[in-house]
Amino acid sequence: MSSHHDNHSHGHDHGHGELQMGHHHVSSPQMFVNVLLALLVLTVVTVGASRFDFGSANMLIAMLIASVKASLVVAFFMHVKWDTAINKIVFLGSFLFLSLLFIFTLADQATRKYDDQSLLLKTPVDKQWVHPKTLAGKQ
Amino acid sequence: MSHDGHHSVVIPAPGPGFQPHTVAHHFDTPVQEFQSAKLGFWLFLATEILLFGGLFAAYFYFHAMYPETFQAGGRTLDWKMGTLNTCVLLLSSWTMAMGVRSAQTSQKGKLLMYLTFTVLGALIFMVIKFFEYKAKHEYGLLPVVGGTEYITETGQLEWFKDHLGKMLRPDGTPYEHATLYFSLYFTMTAIHGLHVIIGAALIVWIMKGAAKGRFHAGYYLPVDLVGLYWHLVDLIWIFLFPLLYLVP
Repeated sequence: MSSHHDNHSHGHDHGHGELQMGHHHVSSPQMFVNVLLALLVLTVVTVGASRFDFGSANMLIAMLIASVKASLVVAFFMHVKWDTAINKIVFLGSFLFLSLLFIFTLADQATRKYDDQSLLLKTPVDKQWVHPKTLAGKQ
Repeated sequence: MSHDGHHSVVIPAPGPGFQPHTVAHHFDTPVQEFQSAKLGFWLFLATEILLFGGLFAAYFYFHAMYPETFQAGGRTLDWKMGTLNTCVLLLSSWTMAMGVRSAQTSQKGKLLMYLTFTVLGALIFMVIKFFEYKAKHEYGLLPVVGGTEYITETGQLEWFKDHLGKMLRPDGTPYEHATLYFSLYFTMTAIHGLHVIIGAALIVWIMKGAAKGRFHAGYYLPVDLVGLYWHLVDLIWIFLFPLLYLVP
């Protein structure tokens, strides 16, 4: 069987690959069934895991299971496993940029202190920030 | 021959009941046409990831601030409905994948059958979602037009009514900023639901072409791209389900 790498041939011989969109990976029905079953089992695992309290790890565990499910969909249903390098970079790269958004947003969240009553932003008590001009005026 | 003197490449039909595909004349080869369209579509899907990503970032931020509020909000949803809808979407993702495979192997009848099941999945999903929204409307938790004045005493938006006291602690005090959870719930599921509707419409459009025999082993690009869109809808829901129904 020809590999999907034949897609990149740009010869002018009007061979078989020229008159089609190129050779593509055709997955076996059994593989799709296996992926579906894995996704359904992982859905049960998702619901089951939510019944146990792992404390602060709850969110991490739920997102980890969801990520495994998402990887199965992306790799097999979306055929990314057999896609070209540029398409992999474009799609998987979007998750890299998304992680930047998450990292900086959550870093902000984790380092802020809120007064629950007024919702006014407060700096940590031991690091009360004072404007340099105010400081200069006091001296 | 096109006006600029180039021959248009024609992909022959694989047999009776199928149509040949003429490659757009600005492409030299069918492979070039296929890969250009695929790259463009993956770029579009990357923007979709970033669109939902912004909402997920908002969710994580406010969940970390008010975990109790979000957990109480999650309890107002029916996890059984959510699980059922998850299974419906996973199954429809599978029928879509099998549909693309049927197009790749020039099986017209199977392609139409799998696409029909996929649209059916989309419809079942939206019907279940409708009943969930209806239940939220009865609790007075559905956002309504007008009333965005901030009520400082309770920290809630005016649309947030909570008629049945669903968002109250056992001691009767309200969970603070419950509106945050429901704003995110409605925004995320509504945008996702919009994608389900658009996806179903695109699949119906693909079915029209499939019935005419436009898609076969030589040319199945539109089936492939709509399939990717449908899998993305499934992909987003895989994260929405645990975050909204089983709030960690």
